[in-house]
Amino acid sequence: MISSETFHVVTTELVVGAFSVAGLSFTLCLLLHLGVLKQPSWSPVVDHVAHFTLAFGLAATPFAILSGLSSAPGEGLNSPILVNKMFLSMTGFGFALGCLLARWRLGNKVWSTTKSVVLHSASGLAAVGSMLLTASAGGTFARGESLLDMFHLPYEHVLLFPVMVSTIALLLGLTMLVLSWKRMNASSTVH
Amino acid sequence: MDLLLWDGGIELKTNYRILTVLVLSLLLLCSAFGAAEPGGNGDSIQNMQCGGACHGDASINETSGALLSLSSPAAIYVGIPTTLTLTATNLDTSATRLVGLFLLTDMTGHSDTPQDAGWEILSDANGGAMNYNEQKLDPGQTEISISWVLRASTLGPTTFYAAIHHGGGDSSPFFGTTASGFEVTVQPVPENLPRLSADFTPPTLRTLDIPTEFNIETQFTDSMQFEWKSEDGLIMNAIVNSTGNNSWTATIPAALQPTTVQWRVLLGGEGPEQTTPWFTLAAEEGSWEVTESAAYLQAFALLFMSAGIVIALQTRFSSDASTSKYDEELAEIKTVALDKTPGHFEENDGGQQA
Repeated sequence: MISSETFHVVTTELVVGAFSVAGLSFTLCLLLHLGVLKQPSWSPVVDHVAHFTLAFGLAATPFAILSGLSSAPGEGLNSPILVNKMFLSMTGFGFALGCLLARWRLGNKVWSTTKSVVLHSASGLAAVGSMLLTASAGGTFARGESLLDMFHLPYEHVLLFPVMVSTIALLLGLTMLVLSWKRMNASSTVH
Repeated sequence: MDLLLWDGGIELKTNYRILTVLVLSLLLLCSAFGAAEPGGNGDSIQNMQCGGACHGDASINETSGALLSLSSPAAIYVGIPTTLTLTATNLDTSATRLVGLFLLTDMTGHSDTPQDAGWEILSDANGGAMNYNEQKLDPGQTEISISWVLRASTLGPTTFYAAIHHGGGDSSPFFGTTASGFEVTVQPVPENLPRLSADFTPPTLRTLDIPTEFNIETQFTDSMQFEWKSEDGLIMNAIVNSTGNNSWTATIPAALQPTTVQWRVLLGGEGPEQTTPWFTLAAEEGSWEVTESAAYLQAFALLFMSAGIVIALQTRFSSDASTSKYDEELAEIKTVALDKTPGHFEENDGGQQA
């Protein structure tokens, strides 16, 4: 058996690598659909690459989170950086999940209007950004330095909501997911 | 893909191939700039060259010009803490001014820590108990001396080595070792020698703002003096109270900043008076705490909120588009259907003929 530290390194490399490619592909998608980049033949390729790599990174994310928690020194969430890492990775997970579900159920319609294109690309890029920030926080936690140190990100501070606010946000998020899912299913059945 | 099939595709293909090779070559060249970890790895138990990689990679590392030497007290007794001091001179580092120093018992890069040779590290220079210590040099500093407090569990000779990792002017990782081994011989303990209890383990960390009480167990000891010094080097005494036979307590004031202090005890008894090595005690902030259930709840709330917002907005924007597209398609179908109805066709046709 390999140690949780080694397993964490493997899974985070998978996540960061996959999300980085997804980020590049979503940027190209945005530029192509907004007409900034005049290469229409690239659209299907970058569309598929963006969503495949996002799905691959998403599949590896739970393993990275769990192995990260078990490989951290001490017990439980004993550092603000660890808590911020968890918040960032879960937020990124949510953005990626929403982006993939939308692409799956709505198909090419996500690229049908400018608003939709911008939103879909932004959600993909937000997922990528969150994951890369998580990786950066991991570097700060493990080695005391990371590539994004130049921005002086406040990893040492945790914005912890009251339990009531978190509960409401959780219920609200679940409600939005369920209603939107029904609406998407209805939409895909009609067409 | 299509690009390669355009007119003049052969030339384009070659250009793309050249570009790809250039980009890959550039990426390979860039790997040298990221060699090793200039920010350090933190103190830890490590084999020589951390068992390989970074400073151990013969293709990228360079030989350090640092001169390393080890020293120890003349007599070392089994089960009694002793000090090994490493002095490194002629130091030249990278901009981070970090050096990593190893205390080893052979040079194989595998199972070569003092623990592997039956020695226990009780204290290191940074307030831990690790054989690999990182030190940050002051600007212009070219020499450093650090100590480990160790306890031998077996009699006989042991050869110690020291090694160093650091950066340099360019991005190369530097590696150096002692020119030769430093042999120490562990002797049996003289009878009635006042000493610390065999299972006494000195504390290496304390929390800020809280006075530290030491509970020290000894053997063959009738009296004890407790000395401690902060980083300015001024030696102070703490009051020692006896709490029983060979059992003592002493208290030092609280640390207000995360600094280190060193302490030692002078033991008196029937045998010759003994002075322990200086043990290092680091002060750190109290452990950070968070209500874990609240943090996990918020994490899941963030997950579902972000996913929910994305899907809700995407559904709204896309369904707007689909409605209009649907309407357009419907209108188109109606037109086609009208065109294909016989009466309409004839009418149209007739119209054209006319």
